[in-house]
Amino acid sequence: MDRLLRGLEEHPEFRLSLSVTGTFLEQARLAAPDVIDRLKALHRTGRVALLAETYYHSLAFLVPPPELAEEVALHRAALRTEFGAEPTVLRITELAYSDDLARFAESQRFRGMLAEGWEGVLKGEPPTYRYCAASAPTVRLLLRHYPLSDDVGFRFSSIGWSEYPLTADKYARWIAATPGEFVGLFMDFETFGEHHPARTGILEFLSALPGEFRRHGGLEWATVEEAVDGPPRAPLGVPYTMSWADQNRDLGAWLGNDLQRSAFEAAKKVGVLARQANDAAILSDWRRLLTSDHFYYMYVSGHGADQGVHQYFSSYESPYDAYANYMNAMTDLRRRALDRLGVPTLK
Amino acid sequence: MVGWEFPPHHTGGLGVHSFELCRELARLGHRITFLTPFSGPFSAVPGLRFRFPGERSEAPGAQFPPAYWAGSTPDSPFVDSIDGYNVWLGGLADPGPVDVVHVHDWFGTLGGAELSRRLARPLVMTVHSTEYDRSLGHPWEHLRRREQAGIDAAVRVIAVSRHLRQQLIDRYSADPSKVRVIYNAVRPSERLEQIDPTKRIVLYVGRLAAMKGVDTFLRAAAKVRPDFPDVLFVIAGEGPEYPRLVRMAAELGVGDRAMFLGHVSDEERETLLSGASVFVLPSVVEPFGIAALEAMAAGVPTIVSKTSGVAEISSGTFRVDFWDVDEFASRIAELLEYPTLRRTMGEEGRWEALREGWPERARETVAVYLEAMRATGVPI
Repeated sequence: MDRLLRGLEEHPEFRLSLSVTGTFLEQARLAAPDVIDRLKALHRTGRVALLAETYYHSLAFLVPPPELAEEVALHRAALRTEFGAEPTVLRITELAYSDDLARFAESQRFRGMLAEGWEGVLKGEPPTYRYCAASAPTVRLLLRHYPLSDDVGFRFSSIGWSEYPLTADKYARWIAATPGEFVGLFMDFETFGEHHPARTGILEFLSALPGEFRRHGGLEWATVEEAVDGPPRAPLGVPYTMSWADQNRDLGAWLGNDLQRSAFEAAKKVGVLARQANDAAILSDWRRLLTSDHFYYMYVSGHGADQGVHQYFSSYESPYDAYANYMNAMTDLRRRALDRLGVPTLK
Repeated sequence: MVGWEFPPHHTGGLGVHSFELCRELARLGHRITFLTPFSGPFSAVPGLRFRFPGERSEAPGAQFPPAYWAGSTPDSPFVDSIDGYNVWLGGLADPGPVDVVHVHDWFGTLGGAELSRRLARPLVMTVHSTEYDRSLGHPWEHLRRREQAGIDAAVRVIAVSRHLRQQLIDRYSADPSKVRVIYNAVRPSERLEQIDPTKRIVLYVGRLAAMKGVDTFLRAAAKVRPDFPDVLFVIAGEGPEYPRLVRMAAELGVGDRAMFLGHVSDEERETLLSGASVFVLPSVVEPFGIAALEAMAAGVPTIVSKTSGVAEISSGTFRVDFWDVDEFASRIAELLEYPTLRRTMGEEGRWEALREGWPERARETVAVYLEAMRATGVPI
């Protein structure tokens, strides 16, 4: 973040957007309050936009209303309190997007949403233009340019990659050569220093980008708040829920197998009790259990290319551990909710 | 092949291993002479010939017990019998054309090594477990020496897990460059459908020996018992620990729910597996743990101790520290409680257990034979 701040100081044209969840802010407050100070310093430059999302980085969009609206409102409130920010662009967990979610965004007065620039929905159209939601035309769509984003996010340190090593100069040239109005470079924050450790040169790459972009004429930076301004190229319809994960860009990474679906069904059932219990601690614990990562850890394939990626992100020895642990926590929460409701539990 | 027991009369994994390996080697076109101290009868395998002391009436041949003599002590006639077996091996008459002498565990190492010297053919040794394991760290020196002799004389040593390989390097000073790992395998079980889906069985199959950690199984059962009134804890197998374990079950208050079945036949074992909800292998020491692989092949979700060899090749199991009774109890309870977990782990375990079988293991073994022959200049 210090590098980003320096980049912003040295390059008045440099801009970026950050997505910061409520749970992250809670953890930072506990473990590393200086992280929040740095985020504030970044935001104070006026050239760092913050994105709206669910407070808990959750699968709230898959449980009945008003869960999603409440979690987005909680997050908005947290950004307002902490940063004085009023974001108008929304991204849903793991870049989930659908016609329904666009309608939701419109109902909550968002001007734009982020989504994956996936060929399956673009049908030959380029991802490098502003679109609008077919279901909610006031909502502008900014699409992730996944090949260029993943060049940094996934491939930067792959020695076997034909373009290795990737320099800031080369990257700026590629982007300058990409036709269209803008290139959506969306990636994990951990790309810089965690997925690719410092020794790979990723941090120097990040620092050098603003300078290289300036050297290549015609390249400008924009935050998501700036990029949504302007007329859309065309409406885009996405009748199912698309994400940015894995080869299929669907929800398979979270709800693709029986373990995940069973855990999620359990969560939905307990959710009804957690709301009825009318107890803030029970509800927030339940919402924590809705965080998408829990389900991601239960991914089992064993035979596919994505297993390595999932295993990398998991803090469990196996998906079975993840499931068992999750179900234990959910069972415990269910008992708490029932106790609160005065319902005697069996056994 | 210098062996020990062979089906149908066998008490441990070595007999099964010998049978399956010989069968696949024979299928690959190799001719095998199986040397054993027992006089049979033996399950027939095409291409496999059996020889044993006393096979011809004119040979003196020591008298051998009809089954594995587990309770032997240095004072028993066992050692004399073993020596007799080894003398017979070393002086084997009319061995015929031989490329490799392959010995399993300590029983025939001295005679096998002598035979290998006499025929100028390389010795390969497979170690299934060590005396350290079987004695829980208090090896009977007499047996340890026989293991050492085999490991020293062998041109190549096969260990049934990485964990065991490391032990051979650390405790027997085996040259790491000559020790290979070849895992055990299982054949698919025919019985997959549950006998009675309402019955809930937590199963242990194996010898009742100290190294198997059946105590842990019983202690975990005592913890799980109050929450699951419909569950039986079934212990199939026999061994020296039996009386102590039965007493222990009573003391822990699980006497009414712990069933000791004694020895079970292969068919009975398959039936048990097809009705089991959870299989537990809590071994303190387990160089491989084929019982767990058999349970996985039958689609039974399996909990194994981390130190077992089978843990090295299975990610679809729960792996627990052998001393952690609470963790065993939690895992058992979780599997009993969550049907989706049971089914998913069962399916994954079955896939893992069966994706490679004895044919692959036999080919890996032949590769080791060829290495041994090249290393000693025996023409291939």
